[in-house]
Amino acid sequence: MSEELDLGLAVLDHQLLDCDGRRCGNVDDLAIEGGPGEHAEVAAILSGPNVWRGRAGFLGRIAARIGGDGRVRTPWSEVAEVEAHVTLKKRAPDYGLGRLDDRLRPWIERIPGAGR
Amino acid sequence: MKIFQIALGILAAIGGFVDIGDLVFNVAAGAAFGYQLLWVVVVGVVGIIVYSEMCGRVAAVSEKAVFDAVRERVGFGAGLTTLIAAQVVNLMTLAAEVGGVAICLRLLSGLPYRWLILAAIVALGLIVWVVSFDWIERIFGYGGLCLLVFAVAAVKLHPDWGDVAHGFVPHVDTSDTLLYCYFAVGLLGAAMTPYEVYFYSSGAIEEGWGPKDLGINRANALIGYGLGGFLSFALMITGGALFLGQEIEPELLGSIAMGAQVPLGQVGLVLALIGILFAVGGASIDTLFSGAYNLAQFMGWEWGRYRSNAGAPRFTLTWLVLLVLALGIVMTGIDPVMLTEYAVIFSVVALPLTYLPILLVANDKAYMGRYANGRLANVLGATYFVIILAVSLSAIPLMILTNVGQS
Repeated sequence: MSEELDLGLAVLDHQLLDCDGRRCGNVDDLAIEGGPGEHAEVAAILSGPNVWRGRAGFLGRIAARIGGDGRVRTPWSEVAEVEAHVTLKKRAPDYGLGRLDDRLRPWIERIPGAGR
Repeated sequence: MKIFQIALGILAAIGGFVDIGDLVFNVAAGAAFGYQLLWVVVVGVVGIIVYSEMCGRVAAVSEKAVFDAVRERVGFGAGLTTLIAAQVVNLMTLAAEVGGVAICLRLLSGLPYRWLILAAIVALGLIVWVVSFDWIERIFGYGGLCLLVFAVAAVKLHPDWGDVAHGFVPHVDTSDTLLYCYFAVGLLGAAMTPYEVYFYSSGAIEEGWGPKDLGINRANALIGYGLGGFLSFALMITGGALFLGQEIEPELLGSIAMGAQVPLGQVGLVLALIGILFAVGGASIDTLFSGAYNLAQFMGWEWGRYRSNAGAPRFTLTWLVLLVLALGIVMTGIDPVMLTEYAVIFSVVALPLTYLPILLVANDKAYMGRYANGRLANVLGATYFVIILAVSLSAIPLMILTNVGQS
């Protein structure tokens, strides 16, 4: 990944896909490392309601409160591809992404016809 | 075979265009101003064609649905505001459509309204749970084609065709300019309801469209919505021919169906009610899905009916919750037609925030490559954005000044 990327437009707020193409969260924020005068580098993708707190003022804080404390840090080295979506190298559970979907699934599966 | 499939899609689009908002505003506009506002329907239909085509193209090329684009382009804060506005309007519309289904069922069966609301909700829930996306679209799209009875009725009512033709030329021939403007805004809002593009773009991903399907996209948008607009003309003409100057406001779905009953008798009435039932039922499902699509896309959850119910758990839970909320709203006994008017006017306010991100993404060569907007799409897109902006700023003041179209 040597080509230039506009992080604000091409990465931030984009859909995360795991290696199976499963939608498993958004790029809610980016962790950038490097002090003043140093070379800045993207260290990780941050996802989850906890991250919204710092993003949209009052509205973001309310959304974060409703959404809960979830916060997942995915190292940038795990990114396989940045195209229309951001694709990761492994499966969502390996990063702790999409956990709520995984937790809810067994309940939905109890209803007849859930596999349809 | 390919041609056959395209034809099926177009038929479904025709039947799927008309919902309770179009029914109410077209017939009421006819009753209040005759055929004078037909030109507004043309403006609205071209607008929905332009933006649906863009949404379908963006979805086919970049696999982004509307709320993916909204969040990426306007950011988290403005995106969240758009989401909240969209969800409120969407829930109001869903409740109105469900109420419409129950009214149709009551007119067809004579059973009590509240039980029929419950029956409608259970039926809709079962259909969405069991039936695949393609078949949902087909069943309701084809059933909605019964609305073509209004086209026959419009001819049989022998309107003054000179007046009808004159209606396609923008003109104001009334002392009540405010009410005229209110109806113009409502008709535009009904034709360009945002849930149509939420559903259309997500539907393109549901059906696995890719760049090879751009021809189908264009045909669906152009012919499907174009002919759907033709149904709107028919509704306004029946409203004008039947109710203009009668001091009757067709505020009930039953009186809308009268537009077909008067010239065509019992058969006309039954066909009209079946058409309305499928149109409004289909729109219930479109709005139900749209609410779940929007939230899931904004949050980055797995979504789509093409995943199984258990394959997209939070998406499934969202539409189940929306269905229960809609049940609660309709059960309060609120008049679905009144709810429709509010939903359409409020949706107009939310239009610019929905359509701007689409215009921006459809222009972005980074994703769209050679499929990015050409000059025609951009000129039309920008023109419509200006129209939408003007209309959205005037919607609420007009609603207040005309006392929701009562003046």
